[in-house]
Amino acid sequence: MLQLALSVIGGGLIVAGLMLMAGGTLGLLRFPDFYTRLHAVRVADGLGAVVFILGLAAVSGDVGVALRLLVLAALVAALGPTMSQLAANAAHAAGLAPLAGDYRAPRPGARGERSS
Amino acid sequence: MIALIGAAGIGLLLALTLVRLHAGPTLHDRALAANSVVSKGALICAALAASAGRAEFVDAAFALALGGFVLNAAVLKVFRAGTFQAPLARGEDG
Repeated sequence: MLQLALSVIGGGLIVAGLMLMAGGTLGLLRFPDFYTRLHAVRVADGLGAVVFILGLAAVSGDVGVALRLLVLAALVAALGPTMSQLAANAAHAAGLAPLAGDYRAPRPGARGERSS
Repeated sequence: MIALIGAAGIGLLLALTLVRLHAGPTLHDRALAANSVVSKGALICAALAASAGRAEFVDAAFALALGGFVLNAAVLKVFRAGTFQAPLARGEDG
């Protein structure tokens, strides 16, 4: 009974983490400049990774593996925002200007046509 | 079983991240995508550990996550300093 409940909860967490990470990776592919890509990949992707590892810890039937996966989740949750701050600070200090003003996402198939 | 499906999904996302690693216009985009690739590799290692029930794979995931973090921090420091031999003393502009 407990095993079944852990499998259901872990499966739900794994699917939720995969969906969050899919959103973050699509943002990394589609967003217009570095800072928005950083926002997508560090916020959605980092949260999705933590949820994914928690789901893995629930479905792994071994106590040792589950405890190590919990420690790995804490590590990933701590390293992600630190890396985000470092990357944004390095890009800002290097003079990479953020995209400002109106932006309209380019339609697929319309190449090189920017509004404004 | 669900852990293997999760590993396959992470592998698909890793392929999408490789596209950004190839096409990123600036150096910082490439550094971000490279760190994302390494952390997704750590997630694949963790999924294989949960699927096979072996604790050694989780240690490999630890090594990938920590090593990727340290490597990316060092690379960003090189981007900022512009040289491999940054002066040890702090200048006027910090």
